[in-house]
Amino acid sequence: MRTAALIAALALPLPAVAAGERVEITGEVIDTWCYFSGVMGPPDAVTGSAHHTCAMWCAAGGIPVGLRADDGSVYMVMKWEEETGASGSPGILEIQSDLVTATGDLYERDGINYIVVADVVDNSGIVNVNHDEWGVVPPFAIPESAAQ
Amino acid sequence: MIRLTALLAVLAAPGLAEEGRFSAGSEAKAWGVAGEEPARFTGRVVDILCELTGNCVDGCGDGARQMGILRDADGVLVLAAKNSQPAFTGAARELAPFCGQMVEVDGNLVGDTELMPAKFYQVQTIRPLEAEEAVRANRWTKVWAELNPDATGKGPWFRRDASIGAQIALEGYLGLGPETDKAFIDEWFE
Repeated sequence: MRTAALIAALALPLPAVAAGERVEITGEVIDTWCYFSGVMGPPDAVTGSAHHTCAMWCAAGGIPVGLRADDGSVYMVMKWEEETGASGSPGILEIQSDLVTATGDLYERDGINYIVVADVVDNSGIVNVNHDEWGVVPPFAIPESAAQ
Repeated sequence: MIRLTALLAVLAAPGLAEEGRFSAGSEAKAWGVAGEEPARFTGRVVDILCELTGNCVDGCGDGARQMGILRDADGVLVLAAKNSQPAFTGAARELAPFCGQMVEVDGNLVGDTELMPAKFYQVQTIRPLEAEEAVRANRWTKVWAELNPDATGKGPWFRRDASIGAQIALEGYLGLGPETDKAFIDEWFE
């Protein structure tokens, strides 16, 4: 059985590994599904404080977290310090919507920027305060019971 | 400028911008989202962190790592971002059981290519090539329920998840603290 497993493992193609480029990125931590799919509105509506709760839902659900830089480029986070990219751990939830500066390794592959974050150099918290403009997105992000 | 750069990147990346190239035979349900195109294709299920960096673990991380499909037809690494449930749930838990296997997937390529050159993938069904039947990519909430037996009560998983609840208790729904939350909520439900 072990021999068969070993043979199967050896038969698998090896990943096309390349060295990443060390970068330092400053940007907002975003929910990439809502941002790119437009499912809940335009990009500006699905960032910041307006979308904070939904961003936590998506991060907890294992949807890729992104780092959106000032120039609009989005980096798909595959690892955040010690947390893996789809873990939905409390550490991943805690940084949602925050403006951070992070260093890490950048891998550009088939039109997508992937980043493996090594260190968070700075975290300014939520700077994109946009709920006055957009409300909460989606509107049911805050249950009515919160008002009681 | 960003949009021009994105457009140039699309044009410079053969295979990424060929709308509908993988739509033939797809039975994917429409979601009505940006750039949506049904896509059925074959490829190998990979752990993206492993694929990019060589940092590999058993079972592709059992759903804790982002997953992709290394498409057979053109070698493109397709990022699987979403499963088939309308419940804020990703694709990693759906694909991890098929780690390293050759599969046929059906779903939608999704994304506004003015924001990012490539689309990512919403996987709806997965069929190992040697299997006759495809499985639906909808196990996320079932796995969550198994992992969170104490999360009782009514409502969807994201209302009952302890980690989310703890973070909301700490920083509020807006993430700006309880005081800001209270002022907004009073007005929001007025």
